Amino acid sequence: VPRVVPDKKLSDLVAESVKEAEEACAEDPVSGECKAAWDVVEETSAAASHARDRKKESDVLENYCKDNPETDECRTYDN
Amino acid sequence: MAVCTVYTAQSLNSSCSISTPSKSHLRFHQKQVIFFTKRSRNTRNHVITCSASDAEKTVVIGLAADSGCGKSTFMRRLTSVFGGAAEPPKGGNPDSNTLISDMTTVICLDDYHSLDRTGRKEKGVTALDPRANDFDLMYEQVKAIKDGVAVDKPIYNHVSGLLDPPEVIKPPKILVIEGLHPMYDERVRDLLDFSIYLDISNEVKFAWKIQRDMAERGHSLESIKASIEARKPDFDAYIDPQKQYADAVIEVLPTQLIPDDNEGKVLRVRLIMKEGVKNFNPVYLFDEGSTISWIPCGRKLTCSYPGIKFTYGPDTYFGNEVSVLEMDGQFDRLDELIYVESHLSNLSSKFYGEVTQQMLKHADFPGSNNGTGFFQTIVGLKIRDLYEQIVASRAGAPVTAAKA
Repeated sequence: VPRVVPDKKLSDLVAESVKEAEEACAEDPVSGECKAAWDVVEETSAAASHARDRKKESDVLENYCKDNPETDECRTYDN
Repeated sequence: MAVCTVYTAQSLNSSCSISTPSKSHLRFHQKQVIFFTKRSRNTRNHVITCSASDAEKTVVIGLAADSGCGKSTFMRRLTSVFGGAAEPPKGGNPDSNTLISDMTTVICLDDYHSLDRTGRKEKGVTALDPRANDFDLMYEQVKAIKDGVAVDKPIYNHVSGLLDPPEVIKPPKILVIEGLHPMYDERVRDLLDFSIYLDISNEVKFAWKIQRDMAERGHSLESIKASIEARKPDFDAYIDPQKQYADAVIEVLPTQLIPDDNEGKVLRVRLIMKEGVKNFNPVYLFDEGSTISWIPCGRKLTCSYPGIKFTYGPDTYFGNEVSVLEMDGQFDRLDELIYVESHLSNLSSKFYGEVTQQMLKHADFPGSNNGTGFFQTIVGLKIRDLYEQIVASRAGAPVTAAKA
């Protein structure tokens, strides 16, 4: 099943959703449309922040060792 | 252990059924018994499924909080108490919101959105609105898991904003349902063995979202403010009222130690614990039921400005008797937390210093130097205690039931 946003970066999505929300609220600032549009901003911002956290957590050596546990720099013996 | 002893086909009780597994059974999991009978030369497999015995029933925990309020940090602290890291389901949808560890499965209630992103935009409703959520399905599936039956749960994809094909969720020992509405629907609420509400004050929410989003392209101070303001009416109408049902509420407020502080870095955190909840004994400071204010800073605890202040006492919360433990300020040296821990009672720790050890294990998590991390860890230990008490009481019960 093809995704709607295949490779579009999340930060583009956030910027886009903010723009959409500002437009939706320009017409009627208390409409359901405006409210829903800002809720989408919250959703995309949260997704972007979670993706950032995941990236930050990953360590280059740890990732390498997952695929290559037998190499010198990755071998660990319990005792 | 499932209480289902099978001797002969005649002795099977009605909660068991025999079938030959020619068609695929999606609902099989750890409670299946397979035995083989040799008849001349062809071997036939029979599968007996039994409804889960009481001792094996899943314990269900609900965690309610707004998006961007530290649910995931809390979840990581909670699963760490039970040991082992929580990982997304292996080999499934890469955008799955589920986290699985040995003991716990955490499901995100966004997966029960009945409207996807486009649908909500068209109808002009937010994700906070009950109309955007399928509570019937939520109830059915949480109930099924609690009864020991695996379910096909939808996946709400936070990147695409679409509902993806479902994933199989097997009944774990502990199921955590986290999201905006775990206590909204009465039927779902009644399934919960324990419930927690993370209550972040508006000032702190604003400060946290600035930290989270300011660097993001497209966002400005105005857009962050506008997003919070636009969602606030729905938040106040549908999310906030759930806190009256919670067994424990963690309230996060601006500090009172620094006058007019708006940075949201120093926090005043309150752990509000309901009295009289089965299998849950609130934590207390020095003397249970007294009202106490304590500044631990001095010779034994290094504190820089603005220091640390603890408060403890009985109170009422939405008409319920509660005990409130409050911590204002932050730790400079995490290992000195042991000094504070040694003055708290009813922590449900297994050894002296366990809270401090858990905090040190995750010193890099947000909130590790203030009351948010401290109280989340304590609630984690309380949930482990609750789980162990439920399992112990169930282990005793079915034996007498079987004999009767």
